[in-house]
Amino acid sequence: MYVVTGLARQYKAYLIVIGGHRLGGRLAAMLHLMPDKPDLSVAFAGLKLQTPLVLLSGCVGFGEEYTRVEGFSNRDIGAVILKGTTLKPRLGNAPHRIYETPSGMLNAIGLQNPGARHVIEHILPHLPHDETQFWANANGSTLEEYAEVARLFDDSPVTAIEINISCPNVKEGGVHFGNDPVMAAKVVEAMRPMTKKPLITKLSPNNADIAETARCVIEAGSDALSVINTLVGMAVDIESRRPVIGNISGGLSGPAIKPVALWKLHQTRTIAAKHDIPILGQGGITNARDAIEFAITGADAIGLGTGLFYDPLLPRKVLDRLAEYLTAHNISNYTNLIGTLEIQA
Amino acid sequence: MHESFRNMIFEEQAEVIANIHYPGDQFILRLKAPKTAQHAKPGQFIHIRVSPDRSLRRPISIMLTHPGKGTVDLLVKVVGDGTRELRDRAVGEILPLLGPIGRPFDLSDTARRYVMIGGGVGIPPMIFAADALNGQADTAVFAGSEVEFPFALKPSQFLLPGIGGNTILGIASLEERGIPSRLASNAELYGCYEGYVPDLARDYLMALGEAERSRCILLACGPHPMLHAVARLGRELNLSTQLSLEEYMACGIGGCAGCVVKTLEEDGEHYRRVCVDGPVFSADILPGFA
Ligand SMILES: Cc1cc2nc3c(=O)[nH]c(=O)nc-3n(C[C@H](O)[C@H](O)[C@H](O)COP(=O)(O)OP(=O)(O)OC[C@H]3O[C@@H](n4cnc5c(N)ncnc54)[C@H](O)[C@@H]3O)c2cc1C
Ligand SMILES: Cc1cc2nc3c(=O)[nH]c(=O)nc-3n(C[C@H](O)[C@H](O)[C@H](O)COP(=O)(O)O)c2cc1C
Ligand code: FES
Repeated sequence: MYVVTGLARQYKAYLIVIGGHRLGGRLAAMLHLMPDKPDLSVAFAGLKLQTPLVLLSGCVGFGEEYTRVEGFSNRDIGAVILKGTTLKPRLGNAPHRIYETPSGMLNAIGLQNPGARHVIEHILPHLPHDETQFWANANGSTLEEYAEVARLFDDSPVTAIEINISCPNVKEGGVHFGNDPVMAAKVVEAMRPMTKKPLITKLSPNNADIAETARCVIEAGSDALSVINTLVGMAVDIESRRPVIGNISGGLSGPAIKPVALWKLHQTRTIAAKHDIPILGQGGITNARDAIEFAITGADAIGLGTGLFYDPLLPRKVLDRLAEYLTAHNISNYTNLIGTLEIQA
Repeated sequence: MHESFRNMIFEEQAEVIANIHYPGDQFILRLKAPKTAQHAKPGQFIHIRVSPDRSLRRPISIMLTHPGKGTVDLLVKVVGDGTRELRDRAVGEILPLLGPIGRPFDLSDTARRYVMIGGGVGIPPMIFAADALNGQADTAVFAGSEVEFPFALKPSQFLLPGIGGNTILGIASLEERGIPSRLASNAELYGCYEGYVPDLARDYLMALGEAERSRCILLACGPHPMLHAVARLGRELNLSTQLSLEEYMACGIGGCAGCVVKTLEEDGEHYRRVCVDGPVFSADILPGFA
């Protein structure tokens, strides 16, 4: 991937020698003799993502919100996952729905959405599918509902369907499916015949044995995994002595969950790699360093959620730093970074 | 249906130009944020990072803009850790902000008289609205506070019907631009109406002739009990009423649906996002405010 000009060829060897890679990279970049920009595109469950960055469900509405921020570009994004969608419209939970906690936040939105048909008929046609991919996030309180949502989205421009069996904020379904490996597999089995689009199963960290759930959903036909959804938590208003969140409990996200997310990713990686199943890693990523940690641990794609609330222009910043990192480490494409975690025997 | 509203939001690294403290733990912050200053409309807010350690930004209304100087003014009251950290930011420090955000007040019908009712840190959007309407439409500003007002005050030069006695002071900066204002407080502040600000506005509205009164539009921002009272007043007098609401926010740009308020529209109940569907809503669709 080096720029092959005569001069560049002459200098290349020298620059690699002075390597320590970082210094060589810097110097070469200064001399414009550096390798071409590293390739940030990545293959994911049969799809080609233009970058590894995926905007996470529930954090970016139905895909049209962030483009109102000057400097934000869909072209920096591999895929945008739409808000969790059920068969019928859902009003969602009473406020307060969100609350700041140390290094993170709680949310209990309650899957507010206008229903799958509305999303398909009135929202998807207006999204810029030439700028990035949009994925659905399918939810249900019965197996039949999950299957029907998959069937509806199959005939739509979304390029993949993420299965949310890990929503902690609804009374029925959601995490109740995700906490039981057998039930989780049943959801995937119910959806599998309904669509040819890649199915990405989103796993819950509130799960006793995440690797076992991963194994079950992969065997049931899941094409990819999404690791992790939020952890369940709560906060109390000491004056009113009431829970701050209207739903009492909420999902904890943000940097507070990053170490948990990395560990869960590490636990699922072995089983996923065995089946050649990619993982969308997520949980508390707020900068490029976090993103790189996830990639090394085994995230094929990198999810940004709460980090966007810190900074809606995070994607560009992560990409720039990621490219710098790859260049400095002489890695020509992002794919070569995935799962390069070294564990000493 | 509540029509959707969309505008461009800018990310700016805003320098603190001034930070002036007032009694009652209030402070006025002047920030250099040229794009926000240029595009902001009354009723809109900024979403600001008060320190690098806080997860979430804080929503604060825009009180005034100086597009020429590229600055925006905010009035903030300390109510918790985030606003305390904001109070402690020194001149020269940089605070990342997003702005301007949200559906502004609808000030388009200049044939109407805009009666603006602000309580506490709900006063700022009223100042911005009054300033924008100055010379365009008739206005009257009523401001309430239970602590000292963080503004220079002076006896009002304008007579307002229904208001007399000791209720003589107005906000100096408005007065100087020809905008009539009066103040209300229960804290026995000199020159102010003793009582709640919606009652002061009510006295004024009741003293207007029927025809003049029906020309009025109510705008309000402030604590919940005040908004309830204004919504009731608007219903009682059959006046179009716009309320600016507050709710806890995460993204501030419409992505998370964390900041909702319940609305009742022709097609039933909805939860609308305060950040981008509001913060300004017609009281007609807010069943929670009656
Ligand atoms: C559109 C809008 C405009 C506002 N304009 C102003 C203004 O001009 N001046 C001013 O002083 N205040 C204003 N507020 C209120 C201000 O945002 C809160 O007082 C502030 O967020 C409290 O933060 P804290 O950390 O000090 O308090 P804490 O109570 O410690 O905050 C804890 C969490 O709750 C949130 N929170 C608490 N109270 C409120 C509230 N009333 N509204 C929204 N979030 C809240 C905080 O943002 C934070 O995430 C406005 C709120 C909104 C929604
Ligand atoms: C406000 C909010 C709403 C969310 N809604 C959904 C949802 O509808 N479906 C879903 O699968 N995950 C949802 N999530 C979880 C996120 O997609 C993500 O998995 C989680 O927040 C962890 O990543 P983060 O720490 O980067 O945010 C939501 C998260 C937040 C903060
Ligand atoms: S704060 Fe996220 S939608 Fe309003």
